[in-house]
Amino acid sequence: MQIAVNIAVLASIYALICCGYVLIYRATRVLSLAHGELMMLGAYGLYATASLFKGHPLIALAAAAGLALAVGLAVYAALMWRMTGESVLAAVLATIALGILLRGAMMLAFGTLTQHPLRDLGWENASIGLPGGARISAVGAALILSTGLVYGGLFAFLRGTRWGMRMRAAGQNPLLAAQRGIGLHGIYALSWGLATFTGGLAGMLIALDAGLESTLVIIGLKAFPAALVGGLDSLVGALAGSLVVASAEVLLIQYVDPLLSDVVPFFVLLAMLVVRPWGLFGTREELDRV
Amino acid sequence: MSAPLLRLEKLEVTYHRVITAVQGVSLEVAPGTIVALLGTNGAGKTTTLRATSGFIGLDDARVTEGAVVFDGERIENLPPHRVTALGIALVPERNKVFENLSVAENLDAAVPRPGARRRRSIELAYEIFPALGRLRRREAGYLSGGERQMLAIGSALACAPRLLLVDELSQGLAPLLVEEMMRRLETVRAETGATILLVEQNAQVALEVADYGYVMENGRIVLDGTPERLRAHQDIREFYLGTGGGTGRRRSYRDVKQYRRSRRWYG
Repeated sequence: MQIAVNIAVLASIYALICCGYVLIYRATRVLSLAHGELMMLGAYGLYATASLFKGHPLIALAAAAGLALAVGLAVYAALMWRMTGESVLAAVLATIALGILLRGAMMLAFGTLTQHPLRDLGWENASIGLPGGARISAVGAALILSTGLVYGGLFAFLRGTRWGMRMRAAGQNPLLAAQRGIGLHGIYALSWGLATFTGGLAGMLIALDAGLESTLVIIGLKAFPAALVGGLDSLVGALAGSLVVASAEVLLIQYVDPLLSDVVPFFVLLAMLVVRPWGLFGTREELDRV
Repeated sequence: MSAPLLRLEKLEVTYHRVITAVQGVSLEVAPGTIVALLGTNGAGKTTTLRATSGFIGLDDARVTEGAVVFDGERIENLPPHRVTALGIALVPERNKVFENLSVAENLDAAVPRPGARRRRSIELAYEIFPALGRLRRREAGYLSGGERQMLAIGSALACAPRLLLVDELSQGLAPLLVEEMMRRLETVRAETGATILLVEQNAQVALEVADYGYVMENGRIVLDGTPERLRAHQDIREFYLGTGGGTGRRRSYRDVKQYRRSRRWYG
């Protein structure tokens, strides 16, 4: 039972992070390799707002989430919109450079010491007992709940709202979307904003659970195989891929060797690339552009 | 006669800075009319259409001379979304629907021209193409060629256009369906009041619905007139309608020596 809970928490972390990869890729066809850093920036955002709004943890959380959304929009406005119409490779390289810059800037601004935003917010990470003798931390439960809400919200947005339809339309055929009057820059900015918001949320929750340090970016990188295993252009695939990668990781840590933790996602990724390169729910032609 | 809604003035379009695909093209489209732009493959029709809709920049092409004037405003250098916002909607020749979206979503995703009533525009699309109502939930990727064409025109109508640009409506459709689609264009004009510029290889069907026609060859307009005048013209009959050659074998205008052609057009 405890293993199932651990898998659920880890899968939620990966799913919450990798929906950002999927959102940006399916709208703009760009693989954002700065996503881990943007996630970490979201966590540092919470660290900053926790000190700013001492005694008001909910306000601090809301401000940090809003900040993450604004950062995503700003990244598009300041950098990525110039990449529209350029080769995908140029855009991917721009995200790599952005990631390195952000990592350096965060180290300069916040140092390398482990921070504990949970303590700054005045909260405690209580352990909750579950049937079957398993236990889950309060933040772990919040992670699962947040992932459910984020995915539910994203499905409702993409399927049920006009902007969601336009985002799907622009991702599928940007030229036709422009011919139908859809402003591509607005759609792309929105996808960057939402991706950074969800990634930032993941970063905040991980930081609340396990503390905030510069290695957080590694978790962002480990979520990338989950997105690819599911198929880069599918949110359902992101969920499934996260579950596959998290299951493999937890089971191998439990039964083989905990040191395998960092390599398991990439091992699963390689296996998937050999067997089914377009992922569980991805489409074949999409992969040509990766 | 009322002022034209669209006017091309000595338009010249160059690809990759060296290849001139359209030269000195001038044409006028009066409000509420259907105008046909006829010609064979490579004549420059689609380039002219894309220059009008603002999309040639994506093909590494640009308007190097002349002007595109829509409702008194020069639009040849406007980005595509600004052109669409002015009320110009394009029905492209290929990739004309969002295949992963349902029929209803295809119509809903379109952004109507500012000031237009969005719900009414979509209702009109369903009224003119009732088949779309029955296919509302079907993914566009599973539609037949004719249904796709209806959806393409329907979703262009959802943009509430004042000028509808239609590229090769007859492409890939059975002859009976082509005639049906042409009749629907007349309905579109009657119901929405939209002006239509129709680019078409199939002169026979295009001249059935058009109020006026232009013929393009080698990037230039070589002839224009009413459908009656064009149908009566010896070269149109011979090269585009296949009825005037007298030899029993249909010929292309390219088969005829240039000096004789020049004498015929301008003589």
